[in-house]
Amino acid sequence: MASAERALSVSDALALAKGALEGVRVRVVGEVSEATDKPGYKALYFSLKDGSSVMPCLMWRDAYTACGAKITDGALIEVAGFFTAYAAKGRMQFQVRSLVLAGEGALRLQVAELARRLEAEGLMRDERKRPLPSFPRRIGVVTSPRGKAVHDILRTLKRRYPAAELVVAGVQVEGEGAVAQIVRGIEAVGREPGIDVVILGRGGGSYEDLMPFNSEEVARAVVACPVPVVTGIGHEPDTSIADMVADLRASTPTAAAEAAAPDADDVGRRLESQRRLLGRALSHLVDAYEHRVCLVAQRPVFCDPMALLGGRMQALDQVALALGRALPQRLERESAVLENAARAIERVGPQFTVAHEVRLARAGEWTVAAGHALVESAERAIANAAARLDDLSPLAILGRGYAVCYGADGAVVRASAEVVEGERVRVRLAQGRLGCVVETVETEE
Amino acid sequence: MASDVVMPEGLSFGEALAELEQIVRALESGQIELEDGLARYERGVALLRACQEKLAQAKQRVTMLIGELEGDEGASAGDDGGEAEQ
Repeated sequence: MASAERALSVSDALALAKGALEGVRVRVVGEVSEATDKPGYKALYFSLKDGSSVMPCLMWRDAYTACGAKITDGALIEVAGFFTAYAAKGRMQFQVRSLVLAGEGALRLQVAELARRLEAEGLMRDERKRPLPSFPRRIGVVTSPRGKAVHDILRTLKRRYPAAELVVAGVQVEGEGAVAQIVRGIEAVGREPGIDVVILGRGGGSYEDLMPFNSEEVARAVVACPVPVVTGIGHEPDTSIADMVADLRASTPTAAAEAAAPDADDVGRRLESQRRLLGRALSHLVDAYEHRVCLVAQRPVFCDPMALLGGRMQALDQVALALGRALPQRLERESAVLENAARAIERVGPQFTVAHEVRLARAGEWTVAAGHALVESAERAIANAAARLDDLSPLAILGRGYAVCYGADGAVVRASAEVVEGERVRVRLAQGRLGCVVETVETEE
Repeated sequence: MASDVVMPEGLSFGEALAELEQIVRALESGQIELEDGLARYERGVALLRACQEKLAQAKQRVTMLIGELEGDEGASAGDDGGEAEQ
């Protein structure tokens, strides 16, 4: 009987259970919750659950690091390991030996790995991103030919910018063969002449549905496209690899279409403003020239046709006037003079002899006076001449205080050597003469 | 009817608009001869008209390069509108 059996200690009981549990080695798929990953801990703790059950898990840090995956709450993972018991708490737990992301989790891991690789290649760098054209001529659209996305794109472009032609590649965007079709579509529209921008779009879907846009092939086709590519894939929180390498990422197909083309209304307003500015600028230009012409036209020379000649014309008039006046006046004046002269002659005639006598008498007097004057002036001239003569005479020189010495022979003594001491010499002064005896003779060296 | 508007010298819309804006700036500067100004104005008007006509083109041309457009909105998205609005 059971009662006859020896009772076990708690430790022994748990050791028994632990041994039994550890024989159960399984693979389990479940969703992660309550993950605790603290650097100081030796193990990672989390719970794995499904709709109705929960099992506590632990994974030694070494094993976790080795598996390369990173778990977060909500991630779907597949673990391999065994159940065990933690004696200190009397708790059962599952010890994870290995771990992989399952389902979408696995896909995300794969996508993250590709993203890392392409980023390392520089395909996501901003410098690689090309600006979108302001006014595309032709817009390439690569998307499914059915469903909401293509119609969103067409409707948006028709509303905003019907001036652009659309070149649509309707391709399969999910399931088998989608990747190849998307690549072919991008290549086909990229080759079309006149294409300025390509829209790559699809509507929202599950993560798995969007997988073709996470493929390396599509990413490389986007990068290789000769014109900028705008993506509008899925809905906001989803970012695909295609989004990351695209020149512009829009959140939805509609947003991608809006980014790819301007709004015709905006462009129309811009044209309208240019139209106004053009007209205004021309009228300003014309006004400016008109003003300049006006300034010139206002110069007197152009305002009054007579301005240039006016002054001279007036002068001419005045001369003509003066001339007209002067000619008769002069004639008049001169005939009056003539008349006066005639009258004077008539009047003077009889008195002429009387006047003549008077003039003769006067002339006589004048002649006498002039005779005196003539004599006087002649005397003055003679005196002047005499004075000049005087200046030149030796007497005049003596008059200035010089003296002339004559030797015994009567010759002029010019040097002291010509006389001897005791010789008698005569000295002529300006007034009178001296008889002198030479006392000393000094010779100038 | 709503055939493509041909831009002067085959300019793109963007090029035409850029040239138009440049003409306006040149005229506004007032630093050009009157004859030149008038010639540029005429050119500007031609560019403006071409741009406006291009923009007013109501029908959007859609070419299917690959596949056939399907779906409930397919008929209306491609080729109506233009005719109806003309």
